[in-house]
Amino acid sequence: MPSIKMKWAVSFEIVEKSVVYDKDFIYTIASYSVILAIFMNLNSLHSPLIGLIASVIYSGINAIFLGNAFFGEENTFFRFMFGFLSLTMLLGFVSWLIMIIYNLDVLRSILVLLITTTLSSLLNRRRKHKNATY
Amino acid sequence: MPLINQRSKLLRISEILYLSLIVLSFYLLIASRTGEAHTVWQVLHPAFIPTLFVITFLLLTILLTSEKTTHKLLFIIVHSILIHSLFSIIFPAGDLSGQQGGLGLTRRVFDNTVFHGLSGWPTSTIQVFVIEMFKGINLQAALTTIFARMLSIDIVYVHLFYIPVLWGVFVPIASFLTTKALGGSENASVLSSLLVSAFPYAIYFGAISVPNSLGFIVFFYSLYFMLKYLSSNDSKTTYQMVAFSLFSFLSHYLTGIVSFSLLLLAVTFKSYEREKRPFPRTTKISLIISFIVCLSLLPMSFIYLRFFSASTNTVFTLDKFYELPIEEILGQFFLGELLYGFDLRTIILVIIGPVLAFLYMMYLLYKSKNNHGGVLANILFLFMTMAFLIMLIDYGILKVFMEGLPLNAERLWVFRDLIAAPFVALSIYAVISSLKTHLKATSPPTASIFSLKQLSKGNSLRILSFLFALNILIPAVIGGWVTFSLTAAYPQIAPLQTTWYELEAVKFIEESTTEKYVVIGDIWTTYAGEVIVGIKNPRAYYFGEFNKIGYNLFVSMKRDPSPRWMLQAMDYTDTTVAYFIVTEPRLGTEEFNNVVSYALQNKQLTVISVPGVPPEKIYIFSYRKG
Repeated sequence: MPSIKMKWAVSFEIVEKSVVYDKDFIYTIASYSVILAIFMNLNSLHSPLIGLIASVIYSGINAIFLGNAFFGEENTFFRFMFGFLSLTMLLGFVSWLIMIIYNLDVLRSILVLLITTTLSSLLNRRRKHKNATY
Repeated sequence: MPLINQRSKLLRISEILYLSLIVLSFYLLIASRTGEAHTVWQVLHPAFIPTLFVITFLLLTILLTSEKTTHKLLFIIVHSILIHSLFSIIFPAGDLSGQQGGLGLTRRVFDNTVFHGLSGWPTSTIQVFVIEMFKGINLQAALTTIFARMLSIDIVYVHLFYIPVLWGVFVPIASFLTTKALGGSENASVLSSLLVSAFPYAIYFGAISVPNSLGFIVFFYSLYFMLKYLSSNDSKTTYQMVAFSLFSFLSHYLTGIVSFSLLLLAVTFKSYEREKRPFPRTTKISLIISFIVCLSLLPMSFIYLRFFSASTNTVFTLDKFYELPIEEILGQFFLGELLYGFDLRTIILVIIGPVLAFLYMMYLLYKSKNNHGGVLANILFLFMTMAFLIMLIDYGILKVFMEGLPLNAERLWVFRDLIAAPFVALSIYAVISSLKTHLKATSPPTASIFSLKQLSKGNSLRILSFLFALNILIPAVIGGWVTFSLTAAYPQIAPLQTTWYELEAVKFIEESTTEKYVVIGDIWTTYAGEVIVGIKNPRAYYFGEFNKIGYNLFVSMKRDPSPRWMLQAMDYTDTTVAYFIVTEPRLGTEEFNNVVSYALQNKQLTVISVPGVPPEKIYIFSYRKG
């Protein structure tokens, strides 16, 4: 009988594989939908709970994308952690750039999230295609 | 089999107990939360420190078992977040330091009151604009604003917790990876991710949200990728090393310069490895030259900083050699500020880790030099030793040979501590391993604690003492070390932190004023203003902490509380309402009473009473233009 911890690890790996495979851009679209939810929350609901859930989903998807893009050879835990750190760095860099260009109001913050997701998704696909050619 | 089951059950019980105590500790921190205190030690729940010791002890016993590494790391991460959250949980506005100033600036970005970064667009020259935009506070402001928007919460919460959480999560992992890259076992690496919390300066910087702290986190990863670059031929590690160094530079110039100087050293080491066979002498000389260049990069960068920032005037000097006796100069070179006003316990806690690490580095270098199979290990140890020495010598240069530094030289100790942590873990784990080997060698194969009676008295005593050292003494010593380091990390003496009534006053003014306004107050009022509305906000203007005009207006208002100064403030800031705030604990009872009674005599000023705030603590006066 596998333990709860093992089951959790296995199911995380299944989710990770599915996100990395990103069939028909399903997770990229999911990430864009989460950004839409963040935008609506910022404009009308102002609920930290919705914000927290949306942020966790957004970070999870994009951290997996970036973890696979740059640290594919690491084990699952470190890949995810590196992915999360890379996402923080990418978010920091893109938001810094947008802030320098103009400012970081709600619309431009959403633009930062959109750029980050697009870059993460493209980097993930690039790595996937690279691996497929071997 | 039953013994294995028993052990696994015991492990699960320890883990549940550990997690329960972690929850209890967070509760104790929340219970200690206060709106009026100088230091965390004044209000910290008395059960917190004993609980932390028990938690660390339990964690160490878990780390020495065969539990999965990722689970051990997760336990350490929770522990690390706990010990870095004292300021953020206990004080409503966090520590009264640079982090609060940073919050004041960040709020301007969050509230969209600035454009093109914190310095704004038309700066005096393009060169100044470029330098200003690379200041770490810009990146920090942008990052925390994005997090706050994602979570849909106020910037103050994100600002207070983002470094304790990022440090708590990523620094232990970086320490683990660095130790692993140095050839440490899984258990030694896990130990190092805990021991990185045994260095007081590292704890302090992990507890305050300043750009330098983010830089330290990224620096640690760039160091890890340098080790990977040295130990592999994968071109990807080069990009990773450069990318992390660049981001480290973007976070803070200090961490950026240190990252790039070590990067240069790593590149020289790589070429030394490639060319040492055909040109042994030339490569050795180039290594020494590179060491000197890397050593001089940081002090020289402070000198060149004056070309970019007019306010910086750092110079090399020999003044200290004329002013101080030689023993004090030597003391400053190695111990710096610890020489003055610190007790022996704090000094020991600050230096014990680096001393232990340095001794073990020397031992490892000596060992790997005599071991022909360990060429790679030799290079890695040599690189880390040189990096450690660069930090030590640079600190001494900054402290003894330089003046007018734009920052505190003690910040270099954080680099030193991050480099030292893996070696401290390796040394302690070597002791644990040797004890285990002795225990295995001297005890019968089937011996357990229950069958000791069957052995001779001498044998059972020896086995018991080994078991005691492994399971009780070592976890207790390390647990005590981490706990004591915490007491040295958080200041014992500090000014009164931003109080609840100062925050309430600022909040009340903000909520009840529809026009543009300016607040005249002392530096502490400015700190409170930074939390709620930021500084130099054109709609709700608080002068900066070091603004001379704001300071002079406050002094004038104290001497002569009249609308004259308030009108001046309004004209200067293009506002229509002015407030004057005085606080009893900041001024002292006598001065506070004098200023208030003078101000009350002036009928042109209106007294503002804040609901729930006692007038013996704070007084607010207002004056409206026209």
